[in-house]
Amino acid sequence: MAVTPEFFEQLERFGVAKTFECFNCGTCAAICPLVYEHFPRKLIRYAQLGALDRILENPKELWRCLHCGLCTQTCPREANPGELILGLRRFVVDRWRRSQHV
Amino acid sequence: MREVQIDSAQQAQAEEKRVGVYICHCGGNISDHVDVEALCARAGQAPGVAVARTHMFMCSDPGQEMIIKDLQEGKVNRVVVASCAPSLHESTFRGTLQRAGFNPYLYEHANIREQVSWVHHGRPATEKATALVAAAAAKAARLEPLEPIRMDVIRHATVIGAGVAGLQAALDLASRGIPVALIEKSPFLGGHVAKLDNIAPSNEKASELLTRLTRQVLDQPAITVHTCTRVVGFAGCVGNFTLRIKVDGEQGQDEGKKLHSMPTKTPRRGVFLPQYGVVTGSCPENPAEDSIETGAVILATGFKPYQPMFGEYGYGRHPQVVTLPEAIQALAGENGSHPVWHWHGRPIRNLAIIHCVGSRQIPGVHEAAEGAALNEYCSRTCCSASLGFANQVRENYPVTRVFEFYRDIRTYGRGQEELYQRASKNRVLFFRFEAQEPPRIESNGTGSESPLQITVKDTLTFGEEVQVAADLVVLAVGMKPNGIDDLVEMMKLPVGSDGFLLEVHPKLRPVELPNSGLLLAGTCQAPMDIGEATNAASAAAVKASGLLARGFVELDPFVAEVNLEQCTGTGACVVACPRDGALQLAEVAVNGKPFKKAQVSPAFCLGCGACVAVCPTNAINIKGWTLKQYEAMVDAIVADLAA
Repeated sequence: MAVTPEFFEQLERFGVAKTFECFNCGTCAAICPLVYEHFPRKLIRYAQLGALDRILENPKELWRCLHCGLCTQTCPREANPGELILGLRRFVVDRWRRSQHV
Repeated sequence: MREVQIDSAQQAQAEEKRVGVYICHCGGNISDHVDVEALCARAGQAPGVAVARTHMFMCSDPGQEMIIKDLQEGKVNRVVVASCAPSLHESTFRGTLQRAGFNPYLYEHANIREQVSWVHHGRPATEKATALVAAAAAKAARLEPLEPIRMDVIRHATVIGAGVAGLQAALDLASRGIPVALIEKSPFLGGHVAKLDNIAPSNEKASELLTRLTRQVLDQPAITVHTCTRVVGFAGCVGNFTLRIKVDGEQGQDEGKKLHSMPTKTPRRGVFLPQYGVVTGSCPENPAEDSIETGAVILATGFKPYQPMFGEYGYGRHPQVVTLPEAIQALAGENGSHPVWHWHGRPIRNLAIIHCVGSRQIPGVHEAAEGAALNEYCSRTCCSASLGFANQVRENYPVTRVFEFYRDIRTYGRGQEELYQRASKNRVLFFRFEAQEPPRIESNGTGSESPLQITVKDTLTFGEEVQVAADLVVLAVGMKPNGIDDLVEMMKLPVGSDGFLLEVHPKLRPVELPNSGLLLAGTCQAPMDIGEATNAASAAAVKASGLLARGFVELDPFVAEVNLEQCTGTGACVVACPRDGALQLAEVAVNGKPFKKAQVSPAFCLGCGACVAVCPTNAINIKGWTLKQYEAMVDAIVADLAA
């Protein structure tokens, strides 16, 4: 998987600002009521790396999120994981709209 | 010629020796395994023993008071305490005698805890304790008062190495009014700090810091700066050392050559030259030797950066792989006129920093350079230095992306966690690798934007393999001790398995060497940052000035002593003596007639006893450990008091 940091600058347009402050502790994944495969920590890491393919491989995952806000509330780095999930949703929807689907 | 009168009668006037034996329970540590009361009863039977008592804790105030009372009431005049190891409480009980108004050397210690109750149980424990106590009592009955050896000290200190630690140590000593010789092999002051730019975490300029420090040193009349100088000879002992120094001139020193390559041939004294240090003047043309009489020596010989092996993370194989000191130097040389940092003509858009290069090496995983040991220690400063460098790049050249690859990351100390916070805010991207699977650096092939590609199994991405393109790879190299084999050999300095100089005790005596009068300052002892090196330097200066301010030193009296009546001047002892200057044959006039007799220089004598073993007439003995005392101890053990 190649790192493409430029991707993160695209995400900024969708309201994601603080993801680089994440130090990958996993508190968000532990507190998340979904208890599912390191969610949302894994997506945060993919966003840091600009691993676009990994995010688009299974975009449905983003809609599992209940947006309860527990991750954002407990994040020790105030990296706002909840906002990243919302931002990624906006990004995916925008991409879908730009494709031939609409 | 020395005149001595020998009067055999004077040895006869001996007072009656009354030994007191005091046995400690150590709160059960001893008495759980040794029958202390039976031991006490047996000890009371031993020849020469006037009093035998026990106590739950002999080192406690009531325990010591009991001993003092017996001494002052005249019941005893020699003391044996049977307790823990002498390293713990021998000096405690010598002090007890002193407080009772007795000579502290009329004391003998029997170790019945570490050597008995902690390793033996039941009857054998009590029997061994009995033998040890009997031997100690027998020796005690033959103890004579001794006086510590008192020697005047030269009120002068020498500091070897003029990096920040050496400069600070010299300054602190001088400010206490002690004359200092500051010896530096290069023509410059400042050591490795001169090669730095912004110092983490305060972002202070290295040049400003050094200029401030060296200005004070150069303005201090009590400090004599010897640049281009090496120590080539060392003799003497605490308080009275003689150092031979050699001023090498320019041709003899690599560093000296640098002065020639300077833009100005004769830079002004006190001026800071980036990468080199503060100029003190030019080196003399011709080599010269001199000597310095000094009371204490502070070693501030510093470190050298780890030099990666060929191919280690692509070093040497790819020109775009450099060490952190090289990168700092390159970045400091940028004039900032270009919005992108250029290195050898190409823009640096992607910068990678790899941590722990040459540090925290693991046997079986890492490979040491030929003939060298693995560096298993953490170099402590590289995390902060790397993050400081990353921040500097991100803040001055925002188009350059920075990637850091670490095994573990820790910026200890005040204001240093903030470096990591700032790096996160600056969007530095971190990767974490396991020591067994380090990042691989390969050529990116022609046509690609960046010349190098780094592949790493990233534990932060759940072990996935990720690739990062890089224009420059910076290796955060650790610290190695400076090559001072000559000084180690000359001064008999203890060296740790990591190659750094070894202090007496890491917690309680952290800046002292076991060689009395020699002290440690800075990174010759271990990797340290500037603040820690300065801290150690100030501590060493305090230790040195404490030693020198008193004006004299007291040494243990356990040194060789010659019985001139018995000495026949064979010289066998002089041959056997391992310490230069401790023992020689001298002309002595005995009762008016000249004889050759052995003569001890107590300050030099190590008290090893090599001379005692070879003397055919038993004319030489170690004070406090005479052959007669040993014989008495053996007799007591053989007599078997337990039987």
